[in-house]
Amino acid sequence: MSHETEPIVSDEEKEILQEIMNIAFGNATADLAEVIDIYVVLSVPNIEILGVGAIPNFIEKSVKVYSEIDVVEQKFWGDFNGSGLLVFPNNAGRELINVLDEGGDVDSFEAKPIDNLEKDILMEIGNILIGACVGKVAELLGTIVTYSPPQVISNDNNNEYSYFIDSFDPNQSAILMKTVFKFKDQDISGLLLLLTNQESIEWLKQALNAFMESYE
Amino acid sequence: MAKTGIKCFYGVLRMIFSQIFDMINSGIVILDRDLKVVKWNRWMENYSKIPANDVIGKSIIEFYPNLDNAKFKRNVKSVLAFGNFSFFSQKLHKYIFPFKALNTLGVKFDYMQQNCTMGPIRGENNSIEYIYIMVQDVTEVAAYEQKLIEMNIKDGLTGAYNRRYFETRIKEEFARHKRYSRPFSIIMQDIDYFKKVNDTYGHQAGDFILTSFSSSVAGRIRNVDILARYGGEEFCCLLPETNLKSAKLVAEHVRHLVEQSIYKFKNLELKITVSQGVAELNPEMSSHEIMLKRADDALYEAKKTGRNKVIGWEEKNQNT
Amino acid sequence: MIKKILIVDDSPIARKMLNSSLPKDKNYETMFGVNGEDGVVKFQEFQPDVTFLDLTMPIMDGYKALEEIRKLDKNAIVIVTTADIQPKSIATVMELGAFTLLKKPAKSKSIEETLEKIEVKLSKIAGE
Repeated sequence: MSHETEPIVSDEEKEILQEIMNIAFGNATADLAEVIDIYVVLSVPNIEILGVGAIPNFIEKSVKVYSEIDVVEQKFWGDFNGSGLLVFPNNAGRELINVLDEGGDVDSFEAKPIDNLEKDILMEIGNILIGACVGKVAELLGTIVTYSPPQVISNDNNNEYSYFIDSFDPNQSAILMKTVFKFKDQDISGLLLLLTNQESIEWLKQALNAFMESYE
Repeated sequence: MAKTGIKCFYGVLRMIFSQIFDMINSGIVILDRDLKVVKWNRWMENYSKIPANDVIGKSIIEFYPNLDNAKFKRNVKSVLAFGNFSFFSQKLHKYIFPFKALNTLGVKFDYMQQNCTMGPIRGENNSIEYIYIMVQDVTEVAAYEQKLIEMNIKDGLTGAYNRRYFETRIKEEFARHKRYSRPFSIIMQDIDYFKKVNDTYGHQAGDFILTSFSSSVAGRIRNVDILARYGGEEFCCLLPETNLKSAKLVAEHVRHLVEQSIYKFKNLELKITVSQGVAELNPEMSSHEIMLKRADDALYEAKKTGRNKVIGWEEKNQNT
Repeated sequence: MIKKILIVDDSPIARKMLNSSLPKDKNYETMFGVNGEDGVVKFQEFQPDVTFLDLTMPIMDGYKALEEIRKLDKNAIVIVTTADIQPKSIATVMELGAFTLLKKPAKSKSIEETLEKIEVKLSKIAGE
């Protein structure tokens, strides 16, 4: 009996998860084009095992490319349980308004101030993108997830951002799946992170093995 | 034998759920993949005034053409494709079904304020066959919120916004300008010889003038503009998306209106005029304080050169 | 008659999934390639009747590998497998001479049907 801590997931489990992510994100890409009429490219996801306390740093490191960011966060729950984070450079919302908002009339602010409009569009796209990826992963693993409403966090709003960063329990570990997404024709790219909470890691391991068993 | 037991059990379940479906204090609509209504609960009947039988089997869009927009359709597609949930919050959308709202706490909403959720309903082997929309009436909560906000940000006497709120808004507008480089302007307003009104006719008359002036201006500006009582007889308008030229035009309208008005208080007929300084934000103003200072300088200029007039702060005044 | 099948995919899991989704009763002889380049080498060595080819792979992607394989044998039967099916990628691989394109995860039923189609095609050629 060694005293070394077991790795959270075995190499084989990681490989299964990798392939499931490849399939899930690929399927999601194909369907997204139908849903939002925008061609989204998702890079091959990579999987990291982190302590949750390490996540804020990881996010900071990953998004260093952008000086200012907006994060859309959405929690999902069920057997598969965690949160999706979509990190946009902070001009993405404005770009997306032009693409998606019917009427697309950014110059008429009578109805809604622009930052609300921007928030709204980021939340909607975040909700669709996170839902697409999480939904496809869940489908492959034979489960169903429920979502909480998305929220937008700007890092130019210090209170919001630090509150969000503080919400990660440093004593927990998480499986983090990271991909770069690109809106092909708009030259917008950002990060998509899926975090699996510690409490569903056990379930995830079982689901991965069950998935593979059907191929034995 | 066992079979009838099962049947009976499901019968009881169906009876329970169908009653809950009609008793629950939220709207529930079930749509099929073509957006035809499959179920319409009693709450929906009650607030829409449309009986279930009239709407079932028909497209929801037929009854609510306002749902025929890109956003709603995108969200429907994402529910069907991924089993997504969509959220239409009152904060951002006010409502998706235009139902009559009851007057709450004296706050008048045109329509019931709603939080709505949309999501998948699955059939055999988890395939998504229907969409549900849940509608919650949050009019009362929204009214409370509005009341609280008003108590906090309005000047008790005139109903204009208070100075603290104005400061928050000008900061926000300043940040927005930095981010989107959208124009915005402010107008500083000072009622001429106000002290005289107070001294001659008493504070009540003075208060009446302040309140009347405030409503005159409020009637002249857009919904997105902010009128605040900045000090005793000093007011300030914040005009988003407005350049100096248009802001001066607004100020000129206000000047003219106030000059023409006769304010009737008890048996008095009072007349007043107003001096105004206008400033548009430009790159040399590194903070909102500087912008306020510029408008104030222009106001001072207007006072100094004969009152009852509008002066805009332009770069060229810098040396005055 | 299909006897030999080559499976080219950089993910060991994906190779395993595909391999075990092949019709069990046919006792195909299978070989694996771990990226595009390796797939082309194995194609030459193994001379398979049918090749399953993934698109996103390191070193050499599926498009390039497909091109190379068709250069080596203009009658090579290649089934492209990918998770992200877009009209554009379908058009590209068909132009490069793929037999068909299957969406990942490929169900054993659709694999079986595809292989049957190939058998029909091969027996026609043999009969001519």
